[in-house]
Amino acid sequence: MDVVVQGLLLGGLYATAALGLSLVFGTMRLVNLAHGQFLVVGAYLTSILVSIIGGDPLLLAIPVALVVGLLAYPIQRYIFTPVMAQGEEAPITAAFGVGLAIQTILILVFSSDPKSLTAPYATAQLNLFGIPINVSLLIATAIGIAIVIILTFVLKRTPFGRQVRAASLDAEAAGLVGIDVKKTYARVMAISAATASIGGVLVAMSFAIAPSSGTGWLLRAFTVVVIGGLGSLPGTIYGGLIVGLVESVGAVTIGPQYRDLVVFGVLVIILIVRPNGLFKKAVRT
Amino acid sequence: MTSSTSSFARLVRNPSVVPIGVAVLVAVVAIAMSSVVTKGVANQLTELLLLVTLALAWNLVGGYGGQFSLGHSIFVGMGGYATAVILTLFKTPLIPTILLAGLASAFIGVLLAYPLLRLRGPYLAVGSLGMTLAVYGWMINWDFTKASASYQIPKYAMLSIPTLFVYTTILALVAFIAVFLLVRSPLGLRLVALRDDETGAASLGVRRVRTLIPVWALSGLLTGLMGSLGALQKGTITVDAAFALQFSLDAVIICVIGGLGTLSGPLIGAVIVYYLRQFSDDYSNLALVIEAVVVILVVRFVPGGVVGIFSRLIFALRVRMGKPPASIATQALPVVKRRDRR
Repeated sequence: MDVVVQGLLLGGLYATAALGLSLVFGTMRLVNLAHGQFLVVGAYLTSILVSIIGGDPLLLAIPVALVVGLLAYPIQRYIFTPVMAQGEEAPITAAFGVGLAIQTILILVFSSDPKSLTAPYATAQLNLFGIPINVSLLIATAIGIAIVIILTFVLKRTPFGRQVRAASLDAEAAGLVGIDVKKTYARVMAISAATASIGGVLVAMSFAIAPSSGTGWLLRAFTVVVIGGLGSLPGTIYGGLIVGLVESVGAVTIGPQYRDLVVFGVLVIILIVRPNGLFKKAVRT
Repeated sequence: MTSSTSSFARLVRNPSVVPIGVAVLVAVVAIAMSSVVTKGVANQLTELLLLVTLALAWNLVGGYGGQFSLGHSIFVGMGGYATAVILTLFKTPLIPTILLAGLASAFIGVLLAYPLLRLRGPYLAVGSLGMTLAVYGWMINWDFTKASASYQIPKYAMLSIPTLFVYTTILALVAFIAVFLLVRSPLGLRLVALRDDETGAASLGVRRVRTLIPVWALSGLLTGLMGSLGALQKGTITVDAAFALQFSLDAVIICVIGGLGTLSGPLIGAVIVYYLRQFSDDYSNLALVIEAVVVILVVRFVPGGVVGIFSRLIFALRVRMGKPPASIATQALPVVKRRDRR
């Protein structure tokens, strides 16, 4: 029982980390290979702020998220969007280059040592009906659900959300009715990066994070998104819960050193069995 | 007399002879020089040629096949570990062992390709990345590979630096010729057709899996041989070094900078990347940042890489000089068809 609860909470954290990836894919069919690096950037910038002015990492994560979002805007606007017209391989390569650049710059600035963010309440454990619960994971799950609700509201009920949905349904038609698709894409990427950066802070409160952990988190996030159905925000939460559960149970039954192997193995198996995601009807091309 | 010159002229006009001839010539010169140059130079050139081989092998899958594989580190590690383990356990002679390691890697290539070929585009990239990290996670915890401890190449199998350089030169030459011939074969044409228009190719009867499996096998073979020689160069092998994601990254960087899906792209790219790293020896991460930025710039502004820039320049020059420009399409395709018509 402990393992199941721990796994579900871990899943909440994973879902938060994966939301941005899902949002970007849902809007522009782009798998952002640099997503993991956005997470890591958020964690590192927050750790700088914490060491300079001190204070609560979760509160400081908000201004950092804005900064990361601002950084991501031109990346989408001037690199990814123009390249997306070239076909399928170009955006992958471009995102690969962006991720590699971010990761190596982080290593140059901070060295490759792992870091973690600490807050007094993060390491605390609650006791709920005899089940120990990590507060940091609980917070992460709550934030993840909150972001899903906010994003769903924004997408469904605001003019900006209408633009995003129009652009994702049919970019050309959206352009014809006067929506600036390029700006919309860039804004979506900014939002995605901002949530990724918050996710990164939450990750760093539970795990140590290093510049090179970006690829591992990209894979975790991708696993979550694939299981939950690509592009579906509520699906991301389910996906996160499933991945967290599988990882926790796998770690207990096979051995904690095989955590990564379990997750990435699940990803590979799902991609093989259901290349279009677990909860989506297969689309034959 | 005249017949011999005309047959010679015909030989030179044959599009496959000149590049292969030049490559063989360069390789022969390099092998002849191997005992003359200093050990340091031979060592550096070995490293460069290993990069060239890696990039040539990746380019088959990633460039001509359009499949952004991040899984090639698995082949490098497989080649290296197969060599070390077989040598240690069975005390086999070296050259058969290297070939065996390559074959093992080719087998892994087929094994990985079957599931990976169900995926396309970014899914294949992430799927192969997942496989790389999963295999790494397995190897680093496996007692058979001595987990995180290092594995020694047995003393009797160690090669002198010049000999290793000769082996690497031969491997790079074989890789170059293999890629050259494959791309011009019917299989290579099917490969490129699948990349450019999968539906169109399928409607002409090109089978995706049947086309791509042999290509992955060849790519795995060449990469495995490269991993094997790389392990021999280092003398010891660790999971961290042999299965490093860096090999996949290097292959991508080199091919993108040099020119994806071109014959000389991997060669040019490897030379650029290698010497960039030599010059910024103490700042290897700085070199990596520069490479990443160049990759972004290339994708954004000159999708053909260095080779693309040059072919555009030549194209522009020919137009200016009033010569009929040879279109990129006829350059890439074999000229066999045209000759038949004549």
